[in-house]
Amino acid sequence: MSGTWMSTRAWLLMTPLLAVMIAVIGWPMVQTVGLSFTDAKLVGTAGTFVGLDNYARMLASSNFQRTLVTTVWFAVVSVGAEMMLGVLAALLLNQEFRGRTALRALMILPWALPTVVNATLWRLIYNPEYGALNAALTQIGLLDAYRSWLGEPGSALTALIVADCWKNFPLVALIALAALQAVPRDITAASLVDGAGPFNRFRFVILPYLAGPLVVALVLRTIEAFKVFDIIWVMTRGGPANSTRTLSILVYQEAFSFQRAGSGASLALIVTLLVTLLALAYAALVRKTAGRAF
Amino acid sequence: MSALDIIGVRKTYGEIETLKGIDIALESGEFLVLLGSSGCGKSTLLNIIAGLAEASGGDVRIGGRSVLAAHPKDRDIAMVFQSYALYPNLSVHRNIGFGLEMRKVPAAERDRAVREVAKLLQIEALLDRKPSQLSGGQRQRVAIGRALVRKPQVFLFDEPLSNLDAKLRMEMRTELKRLHQMLKTTMVYVTHDQIEAMTLATRIAVMRDGRIEQLGTPEEIYNRPATLYVATFVGAPPMNLLDTVADGGRLVLGDNAALPLPQAWKDRVRDGRRLVLGIRPEALQLDAAAGPAISATVEVVELTGPELVVSASIGRQRIMACLPPRSRIAAGQRLTFAVEEDAMHLFDAESGLRIA
Ligand SMILES: Nc1ncnc2c1ncn2[C@@H]1O[C@H](COP(=O)(O)OP(=O)(O)OP(=O)(O)O)[C@@H](O)[C@H]1O
Ligand SMILES: [Mg+2]
Repeated sequence: MSGTWMSTRAWLLMTPLLAVMIAVIGWPMVQTVGLSFTDAKLVGTAGTFVGLDNYARMLASSNFQRTLVTTVWFAVVSVGAEMMLGVLAALLLNQEFRGRTALRALMILPWALPTVVNATLWRLIYNPEYGALNAALTQIGLLDAYRSWLGEPGSALTALIVADCWKNFPLVALIALAALQAVPRDITAASLVDGAGPFNRFRFVILPYLAGPLVVALVLRTIEAFKVFDIIWVMTRGGPANSTRTLSILVYQEAFSFQRAGSGASLALIVTLLVTLLALAYAALVRKTAGRAF
Repeated sequence: MSALDIIGVRKTYGEIETLKGIDIALESGEFLVLLGSSGCGKSTLLNIIAGLAEASGGDVRIGGRSVLAAHPKDRDIAMVFQSYALYPNLSVHRNIGFGLEMRKVPAAERDRAVREVAKLLQIEALLDRKPSQLSGGQRQRVAIGRALVRKPQVFLFDEPLSNLDAKLRMEMRTELKRLHQMLKTTMVYVTHDQIEAMTLATRIAVMRDGRIEQLGTPEEIYNRPATLYVATFVGAPPMNLLDTVADGGRLVLGDNAALPLPQAWKDRVRDGRRLVLGIRPEALQLDAAAGPAISATVEVVELTGPELVVSASIGRQRIMACLPPRSRIAAGQRLTFAVEEDAMHLFDAESGLRIA
């Protein structure tokens, strides 16, 4: 009895939220699916039904394949670097030293900045005429002449990855730092008495407490990196020569720059599917680590 | 041979002095218990011996060699922690063998040592489990095994039994005693449980506020407590402490109650001096012929099983007595307690020091 009453009440309480979600996510999603089966343009006619044509064309196009490779590269390298930097920073900030609290607060700053501000900042640093990076590298003699870091296909993606890392490693560091503080003092003490050096201490004492939270950070960061749009849009718009074009940028170009709403929609759904698969795989990983850590 | 020497050890945290000069010399094979209430500095002292905390002054010698500059792993000690401190993702086997593994002992030799210790502690069946699959008592056995396997010169225990339930704690206490009798290794054991201290120790150091209040055998601590603090800390129910004034060869307890001043103290106690008379509850007897007597009014009677705990009043002071369980006593009754002269403890009321 009370069970039905409870669940009725639960549904009642959730109705407003569900209504909003259906309105802002569900309905557009349904529309997008519908759109993806047509050859609709952004303006003008509603388009005619073309079946799976959009999907087939998109998956076969070299544009899509190149972009997928760029996206995966961006996600793997930036998230990998963020994880390493984050754990390293957390280990350092977990030591006892004067000014630790101030440094911890300072470290969060890049992450707290809006992405647009961060991106603009890095555009200044990379600026080919008066950028700090050029100045620094030429002054210490590593570089002969100023370069256009964001203007050359060979360096633009790497420059973007650096900017993205700088912004996002604090999140990983924060999560890792919280995990480090959960490592019992007694176990650390026992490992000292047992004669474990820094490496073994990390492996047998710290890692068991770090693994779970780190997997969560990994999941969050990879999914975000896979969908990356804003930092790239502000810094390079996918250029030069499409060398920094990721899937989200491609969706935007297809739908809005080339005004092909139908095929843009199909691409958006492909990206959604990929991210969903990624999320499912990760969810399984989280379950596995949670079960195994202790 | 001297196994462990603690010489004038001090510890300060900022302005606060946690250890105010500790001196203990232990012979090989002794079982020292550091006994004291929470925050008195027991763990701090143990951590200094282990090398997990730095002393602000003094010296620690193990086997005659100063170890203050040595890393914990090089001090030839092993430690057991209150929280067990097992490595969560290693099996019991690897947990016990971890110290040997870190010291690069070959696997076969390690396995032999681990199995030997596991047999001793009756945890052979658990060797493949993870710590999370063990009960508290089993975890503590593993933690003890991890210390035993290294065969160190000195074992350090920091309240190893305090996370266990009462029954298990008693079992493990006996087991520790058995282990000590068998291994004859020097042990330093921290606890705030006076029963553990009394039963395990060959010597007890009662600590208070970063100082040693008394260092002696359990018998000395129990029979001749050096201060009022020690007197109340050891023994349950605690020693009765009665405010008294010496007057003409008597100890006046107020309201017409008085006891004759034992001969031994006659020439050491001036009339009018304020004193505290200590009598253990178990030293009070109903047999009036046993010694000097005082009468009291019974207020509460509690049967604990092996004994009858009687709370009574002498004027405005309270007194507790542990009597044989079959004594016929009821609340409101007037009783006469006898005390042997030897069972009386006399302390100065101001300094709290024993009047020898
Ligand atoms: N790292 C530290 N910084 C400052 N003060 C400390 C530190 N460690 C311990 N103390 C202080 O030193 C005193 C003694 O602490 P210690 O842990 O030795 O007590 P203890 O006798 O083991 O108590 P318990 O029975 O509660 O374990 C306490 O007052 C404690 O607050
Ligand atoms: Mg302690």
